[in-house]
Amino acid sequence: MEKAGEFNNILDDCLERLLFKGETIERCLQSYPEYAADIEPLLQTAMATKQALAIQPHPEFKTRARYQFHSALQQVKPRRAWLFRGWQPQWAMVVAIILIFLLAGSGTVAAANGSMPDEALYPVKLATEQVWLALTPSTIGKAELNVNLADRRMVEIARMVNKNRTEHLERVTNRLNRHLVRMAALAEARTREEKVALAPARVPSPSYEAGGDNRVHVRNGRLARFRRTVAWYAVRHPEALQAMLRTAPESAKPSLRRALAIAKARYQQVLEAVEAEGSD
Amino acid sequence: MQDEQNLVHRAKQGDGEAFAQLYENHFDKIYRYVVFRIGNKTEAEDVTQQVFLNALQSIHSFKWKGVPFSAWLYRIAHNSVVDYFRKSKKIVTAPLDDSLASSGDNPQLITEHRLDIEQLISATKQLTKAQREVISLRFAGELPVAEVAKVMGKSEGAVKALQHSAVVALRKVLLRAED
Repeated sequence: MEKAGEFNNILDDCLERLLFKGETIERCLQSYPEYAADIEPLLQTAMATKQALAIQPHPEFKTRARYQFHSALQQVKPRRAWLFRGWQPQWAMVVAIILIFLLAGSGTVAAANGSMPDEALYPVKLATEQVWLALTPSTIGKAELNVNLADRRMVEIARMVNKNRTEHLERVTNRLNRHLVRMAALAEARTREEKVALAPARVPSPSYEAGGDNRVHVRNGRLARFRRTVAWYAVRHPEALQAMLRTAPESAKPSLRRALAIAKARYQQVLEAVEAEGSD
Repeated sequence: MQDEQNLVHRAKQGDGEAFAQLYENHFDKIYRYVVFRIGNKTEAEDVTQQVFLNALQSIHSFKWKGVPFSAWLYRIAHNSVVDYFRKSKKIVTAPLDDSLASSGDNPQLITEHRLDIEQLISATKQLTKAQREVISLRFAGELPVAEVAKVMGKSEGAVKALQHSAVVALRKVLLRAED
């Protein structure tokens, strides 16, 4: 029993040195000459196993997986914040809570959230998104939501390319375009709102000097966050589409090229709108 | 590389950059572990992605308590593989495809390599469940014995014994296959 334990320890020491520290079988055997005959064949099997397992994920899969993971990371916080961020009329909050309580209680809606365009629950996912948009009262809130929904469409495009379900790409690209067009329009509308709202605030008042006008700070903080989010996606989405284009089947390429052109143009438009606002 | 404990602490607080770093540190090894367990590249890609999404969802519940982060992550991977088999109800999977070859342009090398992986996966199906798990974690996941012990809920001594019996059994199966 003790001898077996000793042998297990020696084998493990050799495996550690061989597999993870790059030592040779010969060097291991020199350390334990009395066990060499028993250990050598096992080390050879271990080396062959290790070699066979020296596989790497495909670079395109890594790019796609990394993109999807980063999207999930981005969505963790905003999803919670949508409902409780900022001021909202009380009745709207009550309706929102009741609706979302009902929706959250339904397993169908929860399951639909992760569904893809080729799945039966996808229309439920789209309908839920429309409810979110309807329940978001502010211009900036709607703009933020459209950014997040555009990112969802990107994940769907990646998934459809991955599954070779290219027949869905054109419609998802149209939806992506709609989110980005809305986002650009909302960002421009927000520019106009902000100019009006900030005009009196530029006249120094005692409460403002004392840091009392929290609404202005909340607005500015939220806008800055929106700018950061848009700037991030303006790089990530075209990058991801370009990565997909490199390996996508030929049938997917026209839709992907169109999605890429849309993403570049629309994000540029939004960035110009929010930058113009920031430079006032 | 930043200290893993610090990264985990920050990730728990909602720091996306820290979690992204943990993802980069562990992604390839988790993928290898999953490929080895499932034996099919496309399915393994989906399961690997799911492992990290599950980890992201439950990172707030992770507590050190002597269990390293990697051991926690491999438990999620193990459960994801079990779920995969439960859902698909299939143990024998499709043949491995070209992308499983590690690297290089030499067709002969790739063919030999691919054969090795197929042989290996086929051979490990004849091992016991515990032996297969120890090979997956030790050789594909590259975990030290102490962490394998945490994942499997066994003592280090038991894992070393299991490792020994697994390598012996694997050798026998591979030799038999050569005959």
